[in-house]
Amino acid sequence: MDVPRVVRTQVTTGELDPPQDLVNTMSGVNDSSVPLLDVVKALGEYLTSTEDDVRLKGLTFLTNLVKVISSNRINRQATVTLTRFYLSKLDDFDSLPPALSALIILSKLPTFDDDAAVEVYRAVVEQVNMKAYVQATRHLVYQLFDSFLALHRQALKNMGADFLNSYTKMVDGEKDPRNLMLLFSMDRVILLEFDVKDLIEDFFDITFCYFPISFKPPPNDPYGITAEDLKSALRKCMAASPYFAKLALPLFLEKYATAVGQSMKDLMLSMAACFPVYGGDAVRERGTELWDGIKTEIMYSSDKSVEAAALSALESLMRTLYPSEADAPVGLAQDIIKQCLDILDEPEKTQSLSATKALVALLNASPSTGKFAVSQALPQLFKQFNRPSLPSHRVPILWSISSLLIAASKVYAGETVTRSYAQERTFEHYREALMDTLREGLRTEGLKEAATRGCVALTEIPGFWGRDEVEEVVRGIDDALLNDDDSDVLSAVVTGLTGISKVHPTVIESVTLPLLFHALPEHAPGLYDTPSRDKYRSILRSLSELCVQPALFETLVIRITTKLDFLTSSTSVAEEQTTQEARECEVAYAWDLLHCLAGVIDKKVDDKHVDVVKHFDTIVPRLYALCISAAAPKLGGQEPLFRDRRLLTVVGRITERLVWELSADRQGKHFAAVFAAFAQGEMIGILPASVPKPPLTSSPLRLGAPSPEQDLIVLYSSVVQGLKADCQLPFPSYADWLAASVNWAINHARDSFHVRWAADMIAAFVNKRASGLAEPLPGMLETIWVTDVQDTSKEFETRRRALLVYLHITKALALVRDPLAYTSIERLVDVFKLAYFDPAFVNEAAKSLSVIAEGKGKAKERGSHLTAKLLWAQKVWGFALPRIIEGDQDAKGKDRLVYLAAFSALLPLVPASLLLADLQTILPLLLRSLALPAPEPRTNAITALHGVLETKNLSAEVDTLVHDRSTEMVESLIKSVFSENQESSGKVRAAALRCLATFPDAVRFEALQGLKSKVIKDLGKALDDPLRVVRRDAVECRAKWYRYGQPT
Amino acid sequence: MSRQLDNVNPTIFAPTHASSSRQKSGKALLWDEHAEGYAEVDTDGGLGPEGSEGETDEREEIDSEEVFDLLRSITDPEHPVSLEQLRVVNPEDIHVSGNRVLVYLTPTIPHCSMSTLIGLSLRVRLMRALPPRFRVDIRIKSGTHQSEHAVNKQLNDKERVQAALENSHLLQVVEGCLASAGRRGAEGEGVAAAA
Repeated sequence: MDVPRVVRTQVTTGELDPPQDLVNTMSGVNDSSVPLLDVVKALGEYLTSTEDDVRLKGLTFLTNLVKVISSNRINRQATVTLTRFYLSKLDDFDSLPPALSALIILSKLPTFDDDAAVEVYRAVVEQVNMKAYVQATRHLVYQLFDSFLALHRQALKNMGADFLNSYTKMVDGEKDPRNLMLLFSMDRVILLEFDVKDLIEDFFDITFCYFPISFKPPPNDPYGITAEDLKSALRKCMAASPYFAKLALPLFLEKYATAVGQSMKDLMLSMAACFPVYGGDAVRERGTELWDGIKTEIMYSSDKSVEAAALSALESLMRTLYPSEADAPVGLAQDIIKQCLDILDEPEKTQSLSATKALVALLNASPSTGKFAVSQALPQLFKQFNRPSLPSHRVPILWSISSLLIAASKVYAGETVTRSYAQERTFEHYREALMDTLREGLRTEGLKEAATRGCVALTEIPGFWGRDEVEEVVRGIDDALLNDDDSDVLSAVVTGLTGISKVHPTVIESVTLPLLFHALPEHAPGLYDTPSRDKYRSILRSLSELCVQPALFETLVIRITTKLDFLTSSTSVAEEQTTQEARECEVAYAWDLLHCLAGVIDKKVDDKHVDVVKHFDTIVPRLYALCISAAAPKLGGQEPLFRDRRLLTVVGRITERLVWELSADRQGKHFAAVFAAFAQGEMIGILPASVPKPPLTSSPLRLGAPSPEQDLIVLYSSVVQGLKADCQLPFPSYADWLAASVNWAINHARDSFHVRWAADMIAAFVNKRASGLAEPLPGMLETIWVTDVQDTSKEFETRRRALLVYLHITKALALVRDPLAYTSIERLVDVFKLAYFDPAFVNEAAKSLSVIAEGKGKAKERGSHLTAKLLWAQKVWGFALPRIIEGDQDAKGKDRLVYLAAFSALLPLVPASLLLADLQTILPLLLRSLALPAPEPRTNAITALHGVLETKNLSAEVDTLVHDRSTEMVESLIKSVFSENQESSGKVRAAALRCLATFPDAVRFEALQGLKSKVIKDLGKALDDPLRVVRRDAVECRAKWYRYGQPT
Repeated sequence: MSRQLDNVNPTIFAPTHASSSRQKSGKALLWDEHAEGYAEVDTDGGLGPEGSEGETDEREEIDSEEVFDLLRSITDPEHPVSLEQLRVVNPEDIHVSGNRVLVYLTPTIPHCSMSTLIGLSLRVRLMRALPPRFRVDIRIKSGTHQSEHAVNKQLNDKERVQAALENSHLLQVVEGCLASAGRRGAEGEGVAAAA
């Protein structure tokens, strides 16, 4: 390679980054085929040129080369030579930045020794006048120092005061936050490691001069340094050396007078960090003054975060002064406690809250102050509680006591505690008084919440209360739970019991649960017995919170299933006098019971509790038994309770959730039994042992089975929906099973309830086993389409069902992005052309595209276990939309409505961001959909429009479009909702109002100025909507339009 | 603008709970909102997943609780707290019958010069949020203000209200008070428990 030529071209053309082939590992410097020396020689004339410009170019080129070549290519000799060379450039103003960059690289080389470091350091200190350079250059200097500190620390240490003196001079006066971040980290290292005692004043000057930092990052700051970063970096410096104490403490005291808001918070946090480092002796001298300032912030600060910072400063102060139990809490601690207790003498004032917090801080601080604070505070508080000057004072007093207890429970219990109650025994003298006070609190109106919190805290302190005491307070809390109806008290009580159940589950199990279950009524309360109904609902709510605990879940399962058994058996006894109304109440009660169980199971599954699976065999078969015996043929009398479809639906949901949690192996076994029951009528396999004789002996899916038996499809479908893909199935041919199910859904199911469950079952099956069905599926879809969907000679209902099944299969395939899905969709869209010949059916087809838009289904409801691949919805949308638009353009007159219906049915499929991409084409369709007759498609269109308007940061193009069409949008919305002669629903009206309410935020006032008064006038009508929720939206929306365009 | 406040240190009450005294009827007695979704399953014969959702065209009349809900979160002109927290408006003091609404407001102190302004804010809020068929009367609760009658007269005189609203400064103040009205009692400042 012709090195001189390459170098010449580069330098003269100003391309100062060394070319790849010069550096290249194969043929350049890195490969040693081109010695570094050659390059330097070639650069010679430039490096020594008398022209500044040329010299700088040469230097920069060399530096850039040093940056990119690998470090082992620079040997000791080269390092020394290069270092010398660059040192000679330090006094050259323009050459300094490249020289420094190169030195930083060199300083990191193993060949760069301590002596060199000292030499370079001295040279820099002598020759560089920091004030003369810009931030970037200063940053390079600091980086160089940083590199020395990291790699040659000992050499710098050996320089002694020489280094420290020059360092403080070099960094003095720096203001740039980027540099400061680096400096603070270096300062800390020096303060910690070097002998700074004699020069502490200089260091004090270069660190504390920045305190307190008031820095506001510029908008769009690319460096992302926040005020908080700087503050915490500086704080670490300030807390790095105990020698700062005598200088820093007066400074802190001085700052009390001037700091406010954020800087006060900074001051407090910095003190909290510094006190332990400065040490007890230094701090003690100024203790009282320090406390005065802290006290002001605790008592009077309106900013919660400042108050919290002040409390942490107090805690740190106390911990520094009285670190262990051996340090008697005399002096300042006594004063502080005295002052707090004086304030607590007037418990109704807000300051008493702050005084309590200060006491809590003392409790947290150390064993010494904690014990002392408690011993001083509790007796006074008990006295005040027992003989309050005003009855209303008892509330804040009890809160003070409970706050102390809560703080103590955090100090003594938890994962990271260092203090143990067994050692400190802080509350030992107050056992009885505490119990009396809390007991009293649990009984008294207004005190229950505070008392519960206190009790929970005490149960959490390990070893404080024995079982008897815990039982006693739990009984007290239970009483509040059953007899109070204030929602705040109830939620506090339930949270409290949940807390206790984590520490003492057996107490809750033996005391609380029996009480709660006993309070559940045997029979459903009558229709107008609202208090009883609210009561049992509240109990169930409490149970569903409590029984998430594994230890308590079993009891819940047993009790609820027993309750349900009892309900079903008792209704059949009293069948003569049960009226429709009473039955409805029973159903609601059973539903609430099941719903409670389902809620707990959901919560447990979400929290990944492993014990859910254990209870599968106690829950599922018993629920099956209830449903199956209800479905059995029965002569005369009242219908059994569990024929109610609402109950079946919840049972289905529980079943699906639980089946999903089973391992594939157990799923296989369970499904084999379920399959035997539904295909052959062998019910015995899925019923619990307690039911010896199956109430049904033939398949519920057989031809001509009565409707109640067919309802059991819910169970079958739920199990299938809960199956995983790798679970073994008890039949050889997937296709046969699928064909049979499809046939049942289309031809044998009695009503749409059955069809929907069957369709969901089919969808789940296809979704999970699409690959196994790849071969037969195209043929099956073809058959469904040709023989059932397309055949106009068949009944409309049959065709509708076939279509539904067809679409469910399509959805299942679309979710896994199976190509077959798209051909199916295409076939469906093609059918829209026949709108003229078969209008009813085609409309149905368009509407039912919503099956696909439903996707995985709403969380927790049906279909939530379907597998969905990424971007499946986008793919469907991208496939279907152009075809619908094309069809819409080809069609004429009324036939176009079908395409609109299909379009709006598909809308919920995709998020608004996707619509934005081609809003130009979509917006006209959206606006036209607003005029469709049925409410649902209009709701979809309005929701989509709402989504578009709510999206932030619209592109300029979309923004113009939205503004251009805004008048039209608003007018169509109003017409869509308020025109008299259109079918309407609360949902569509509420959606439209919410959508209208986004215009003032999304569209500039000029665009809609002319419409404001009309919109406000029209919204006046909405204020009189029959539905309260809609009125609410109307009020909101109208208020927004009133404010629209007004100066704010 | 450092005018002496009328009431420098008003008593602030904890927000009341929206304990609804509304009587539910029919289906709503048995099935709470959450249950509705399941309850629909069997009645729904439609093909779509939503079918015909919850179209209970049972009319829910506007009641005093709803009117209170509209007013509770209006901000006091002097302090950054809601009228509910100051107990200037109370659910018991609102009466609705037919097309008439009567609201009594309770000034925090008897010489409160802000009563008219508060009354005006209430009136504007109700003008905007109640259907035009309603006739709204706003009165000072008897015995709570020195110049009760004068204020009552001013608040219920259509022309004076109209004139007041043409004063752009006054309107701006009213808008300021109303800015928080949409909260409807949400995120009221609770009494913070210690620790």
